[in-house]
Amino acid sequence: MPLELGEGTATLIGVVTVDEVEELAGWLRATTRPKVNLRRCNHLHTGAFQALLLFRPKVSAAPTDSFLAERVLPLLARQGSEPP
Amino acid sequence: MNPLLAQFLAEAADLLTQVDEGLLQLERTPGDPELVNEVFRAAHTFKGSSGLFDFPELTKLTHAAEDLLDAVRAGELPLDSGMTDDLLATFDLIRGWLAYVTTEERLPSTAGADAASLIVRLRAPIGGEVVREAPTLSGPQAGDVAPAWLAYFDEEWLAETAAWLRTTSSQMRFIRYAPDSGCFFRAEDPLHLIRQVPALDRLNVIEPVEWPEAADYDEYACLVAFVCATRAGMGEIQYLFRYVVDQFELVDLDGDAIQRYLSGEIEIEVEPESGTAEKQDQKPSSSTDPALLADARAVLAASLKALALNPTNTCHLISLAKAITYAAHAFGDPVEIQEPDVVTLTATVTRLLGDTAEAVEDPVRTVVPLVAADEAPAAERRADDPGGQVGSRILKVDQEKVDHLMELVGELNVAKNGLTFLAGAAEEEFGSRALARRIKDQYSGLHRIAEELQASVMDIRMLPLSVAFSRFPRLVRDLSRRLGKNIELVLEGEDTMADKDVIEALADPLVHLVRNSLDHGIETSDERLASGKPTTARITLTAVADGDAVIVEIADDGRGVDPARVRRKAYEKGLISEEELETLSDVDAVDLVFRPGFSTAEQISDLSGRGVGMDAVRASVEKLGGTVTMRSELGIGTSTRLRLPLSMAVTQVMVVSVAGQRFGIPVDLVVETVRVPVDEMNRVLHQDVVVLRGEVIPVLDLARALDMPWIPDDNRDRAILIANVGGQRVGLLVEQFHREVDVILKPMEGLLAYADEFSGTALLGDGLVLLVLNMKEVLGLAARVG
Repeated sequence: MPLELGEGTATLIGVVTVDEVEELAGWLRATTRPKVNLRRCNHLHTGAFQALLLFRPKVSAAPTDSFLAERVLPLLARQGSEPP
Repeated sequence: MNPLLAQFLAEAADLLTQVDEGLLQLERTPGDPELVNEVFRAAHTFKGSSGLFDFPELTKLTHAAEDLLDAVRAGELPLDSGMTDDLLATFDLIRGWLAYVTTEERLPSTAGADAASLIVRLRAPIGGEVVREAPTLSGPQAGDVAPAWLAYFDEEWLAETAAWLRTTSSQMRFIRYAPDSGCFFRAEDPLHLIRQVPALDRLNVIEPVEWPEAADYDEYACLVAFVCATRAGMGEIQYLFRYVVDQFELVDLDGDAIQRYLSGEIEIEVEPESGTAEKQDQKPSSSTDPALLADARAVLAASLKALALNPTNTCHLISLAKAITYAAHAFGDPVEIQEPDVVTLTATVTRLLGDTAEAVEDPVRTVVPLVAADEAPAAERRADDPGGQVGSRILKVDQEKVDHLMELVGELNVAKNGLTFLAGAAEEEFGSRALARRIKDQYSGLHRIAEELQASVMDIRMLPLSVAFSRFPRLVRDLSRRLGKNIELVLEGEDTMADKDVIEALADPLVHLVRNSLDHGIETSDERLASGKPTTARITLTAVADGDAVIVEIADDGRGVDPARVRRKAYEKGLISEEELETLSDVDAVDLVFRPGFSTAEQISDLSGRGVGMDAVRASVEKLGGTVTMRSELGIGTSTRLRLPLSMAVTQVMVVSVAGQRFGIPVDLVVETVRVPVDEMNRVLHQDVVVLRGEVIPVLDLARALDMPWIPDDNRDRAILIANVGGQRVGLLVEQFHREVDVILKPMEGLLAYADEFSGTALLGDGLVLLVLNMKEVLGLAARVG
């Protein structure tokens, strides 16, 4: 199961596919001050990425996957939606 | 020019005319299934042939047209005049392209952009799907113009990169990938795609101008776009993004271009796109940026145009509404469009354009009409456009006219031959030998001219066989790659000439035979190695002239036909009896593949085996008056030999007579003529036979078969014509042999159409009509008469 949704923290594991997007978005919507653990996440579907981008949860653990860590995480960590 | 391309262009000109006519007629009588079918077929042929050349835009465009026509054909939607306009515009554009191809041998550089808007329009009525087959990316557009979306890259990094690129005088690829909102439903994952981009240097996300409220957020709509910079090769990018060509933009930039951008000389690319709102720059609001305002204006102008073009499609309207909202946002004049309809949208756009007319200061930017830019070239090309010509400057003459000319030559020959009779009459009836000689002199002069005339008229119709062969190198190459076989094609005797009709009729049988060889004949490389053959197989296409016939042979060094298997198969299919199964010789067994209903392929592949079997090949060749034979040696190879008359216009016939009536027999069939003493005739099982060189040949009485009053004179030797019909020898008992003549055979028509025993009529020099026998039917007739 790529999603472990806890009280305040969601753990994303392995490849998060489009099937998980709805669940993740629902959780993000319902949770106040959500946190996500991306350590064991290998890939984020664009839909999941977009949900993280909108709800901006705190990333509690950075992914180990190099693409996610180097390319995607900086996009999520960036504040505001203005271009740099 | 490549002869194949020349032929394509010549055919294309015909197809274009056909499509134009068909479409115009369709507008008058909409829904005529026959007409729709005709236009569809032409478009289909176009698409098919265009695939042979490196014209991806042409293939894509014709594919879109074909899809639309297919939907119309299937009755899914009625053809309205808007669609007809789009289709006509499509084929006009193609005509323009082909005129360009005729001179330059490539498509104009604007082809991709011109095609894109038409494809969108063509696809709009059928759901607006994008092409998923064989898409190709047009190369980097405008290598030195920095697009506006460079703003999404870190400025510091850009400056560094620019400096580096200038120092090294190299370029970098910048990609903007704006997936459409429904892309998740097509199992696309843009981020996954980007992940695969090799040598990715920078990635950034373009977030929507305004995120929806959390409660309204649709997690299945893709709202983000991406920009990235990469050093990946063109081919790699083209491959990765091959399915999302329309959502994707690529530029190659050098240091100077980036520097120009950074220093503010922004030359923003105008997107060659009118209908899709997803493409519009979704830049965040900052209404002081003149470039942004100009962009927004361009978006609005495009929207207005798009509204006029396609006012009814709801999806289309929704996406337009989105674009307009964004543009309005850029003006700092946010509008909200709840239920988009044409009237409100048009009103909104007009209002926005009016309000902001003064706000835009840069005059250059304001006059960029998005749609007009790419529509103008398409609109200019009309049927009466003298700008270019499709195909080379060949005088195109209706074949009927050439046929008519040929007929006249025939009649001239007949009239000319009348002179010899006149000379005879001058001498015999009027006793003037001198006059007879002068007439004969005149005759020989006339004869020479008539012969030459005939030769040149025939020559008009003659084409080299290379015309029929030229499509094979490509066909063999493509098919062999698909089948994973190594095949070398050898063409011989391509300059052998044959009549146009023969060449044309030869095309289909040849394609079929070559495909058969490729598919069934040639083994895979492994099998070939195992049987000790070189891995590269060889297919030889040979043409040689043989008297008044041309022989085309297709030979391969493949596995050959297994006679035992063919026999068994034919027996299983009920084509031969059990007795034949035992007795049939190997040669005859191989011939079984020509029987209707026979197909040896166990697996029907998409190459051959589409239900058009070898019987169709034989039938079409025999219709031309030719023969097909196949020789095959198991394990060594197969060769199929087509023997066709060089020309179908003139037939050489042997004239014989029975009961005073003359008949012609095609010389091709005549083996020999013999005179046999009456007592050498034998009778076996109620059948007259004659023994010639140890061979028993049945003899048929032509007079009896045709029911003519003639009893052979017992005191005279019997005149027997030995003919070869369907591989068997038969004798035909006639009264008298005459000479051979060249005649122009006219088919039996009208009142004579029922007479199957004759294949046609011809006029002889003395004005008599010669009936030419159809030997197969005559044999059948004789068998019935007994």
